[in-house]
Amino acid sequence: MALLKVTFDQKKRVKLAQGLWLMNWLSVLAGIIIFSLGLFLKIELRKRSDVMNNSESHFVPNSLIVMGVLSCVFNSLAGKICYDALDPAKYAKWKPWLKPYLAVCVLFNIALFLVTLCCFLMRGSLESTLAHGLKNGMKYYRDTDTPGRCFMKKTIDMLQIEFKCCGNNGFRDWFEIQWISNRYLDFSSKEVKDRIKSNVDGRYLVDGVPFSCCNPSSPRPCIQYQLTNNSAHYSYDHQTEELNLWVNGCRAALLSYYSSLMNSMGAVTLLVWLFEVTITIGLRYLHTALEGVSNPEDPECESEGWLLEKSVSETWKAFLESLKKLGKSNQVEAEGADAGQAPEAG
Amino acid sequence: MAPVLPLVLPLQPRIRLAQGLWLLSWLLALAGGLTLLCSGHLLVQLWHLSTFLAPSCPFATLPQVALAAGTMALGTGLVGAGASRASLDAAQYPPWRKVLGPLLVAGTAAGGGLLVFALGLTLALPGSLDTGLEEGLGTALAHYKDTEVPGHCHAKRLLDELQLRHHCCGRHGYKDWFGVQWVSSRYLDPSDQDVVDRIQSNVEGLYLIDGVPFSCCNPHSPRPCLQSRLSDPHAHPLFDPRQPSLNLWTQGCHAALLGHLQSLASTLGSMLTVTFMLQILVLLGLRYLQTALEGLGGIIDGEGEAQGYLFPSGLKDMLKTAWLQGGVAHRPAPEEAPAEEAPPKEGLPEA
Repeated sequence: MALLKVTFDQKKRVKLAQGLWLMNWLSVLAGIIIFSLGLFLKIELRKRSDVMNNSESHFVPNSLIVMGVLSCVFNSLAGKICYDALDPAKYAKWKPWLKPYLAVCVLFNIALFLVTLCCFLMRGSLESTLAHGLKNGMKYYRDTDTPGRCFMKKTIDMLQIEFKCCGNNGFRDWFEIQWISNRYLDFSSKEVKDRIKSNVDGRYLVDGVPFSCCNPSSPRPCIQYQLTNNSAHYSYDHQTEELNLWVNGCRAALLSYYSSLMNSMGAVTLLVWLFEVTITIGLRYLHTALEGVSNPEDPECESEGWLLEKSVSETWKAFLESLKKLGKSNQVEAEGADAGQAPEAG
Repeated sequence: MAPVLPLVLPLQPRIRLAQGLWLLSWLLALAGGLTLLCSGHLLVQLWHLSTFLAPSCPFATLPQVALAAGTMALGTGLVGAGASRASLDAAQYPPWRKVLGPLLVAGTAAGGGLLVFALGLTLALPGSLDTGLEEGLGTALAHYKDTEVPGHCHAKRLLDELQLRHHCCGRHGYKDWFGVQWVSSRYLDPSDQDVVDRIQSNVEGLYLIDGVPFSCCNPHSPRPCLQSRLSDPHAHPLFDPRQPSLNLWTQGCHAALLGHLQSLASTLGSMLTVTFMLQILVLLGLRYLQTALEGLGGIIDGEGEAQGYLFPSGLKDMLKTAWLQGGVAHRPAPEEAPAEEAPPKEGLPEA
């Protein structure tokens, strides 16, 4: 009992081949789109690799790029096959290759589905990479004269301005690190000496933030220093003041940016996967319909197309048997016994 | 009464003309579309910067006229493509015969006129940007502190975002901030002696400081931003005199915006020039094709040689004909058939 049998006459076969040809070329376009999406994601990750400690995983964009290229190749080949399918002479040369090609297509579809899942699941690893990277970035903020780290101040400032965020989880992260370099501290001043003596590591810690944390929407000019001291500023209460600085942490802001990017890419890849599955099913029907043309002299005859020749469980059993046959290929008696069993099961 | 600029067009050159015209028409449509996009982009930019441009500045008319000119060019391109495609097919040409004349007149008058007007504006208007920006930025700077005055409450946010995005400070430099009160009186402590001194030190009673807002800060500076007490050389320890320009943005927003808008306007101007030249070529080609096919009586495949021309007779004769036709409408005008009487001239040799 064949799986999902459909009867095809000549006209239906021709229509199927033409429709498949068109779908394959649309799918090549979709493959190009996936390739460019992967390239875009790779460039975006490279742009911010400074704040991710250069250790971010490029698995998702790389796999999107590979899938895009493979999709272009497979679908243009399938388009050529569908174009030749209506001409018996040209089709004859494709015939022996079609079954392994369909197997490869099925494997490709499975791989594409796994890549789609990865797009949605990468969030977790990105979060931990970002947390470590931003912490280090803030630590090196003041090292503008250390080769290899001199650009970190500019990177963090522009990141906070562009993504409208401050610090790792919030602006208080800046209170815990020394972000003003010792070169710009006046060590003869009493205030500086007091602050340095007040903590074990001898760091100059202030309750202030860099200018890039300032929120332009605030009605008053930005307050950057002495943030926890209400009496230092007129009509200021640090408990209720919300508009002065950005409240988001940069980890959350970057994470939501990359998550939305990868979610939309995952959605597009899912749609392309569904399209590819439809094409594979159509190609299988075309293959079996053309195989079923019993009389090659009469092209007008009807034939049947199906997905699987027998039901799913029987096909699976036959597949296992053929695997076993491969294993025992040098034992002639086992081969004879298997050949005797196979027609009974069929 | 000879036809103006006649050109003999046998069958093959006519077909070549139609094919070349089809290609040129699609190029014109593309150029028109690009002009549309360019002027749309400029309009959006101007809308974002509307706070910093004085309302009396006429610069906004340039993208509006360019938008209209681009639409006309797009229309002309599509009509040209359709007409040249139809002129190769005997069945499709008759409906085009009637509309082609009026369409050509409309294309030349409206489209050509708009393009010339837009080109003129591109050359004349950027000069008015200078005064418009000067006034607009001055107003924005003065209203920076008015975050609770209706109508000006967004000035602070917009000016901060402008300085952050375009990397500029003040109108012509950071010292512009020293002459404006940019800290609102709501946040000034009236009991502070320093505040009282500063307010009493000038005639208008403004609180002026030698400091700038945070948006003037340059992230490329190696030290944390110095925003206050910029005129006092002893206020900040170890201030490096060799690198004073790294601390704040050195460029004024006037120069930054002027450069930005002028480059957009010059891009638009070059697009308009290309569109104008393509439009002239397409209209000329269409006119020649139309008159050549009219000479054959509308039959496309006629093997006979037809003569294409720009105008059936010289300008003076045309005006005389038009005046006589208008004034003597009920009497048959004797000059009604000038073209057929003129002997076929040897036109330019065909390619």
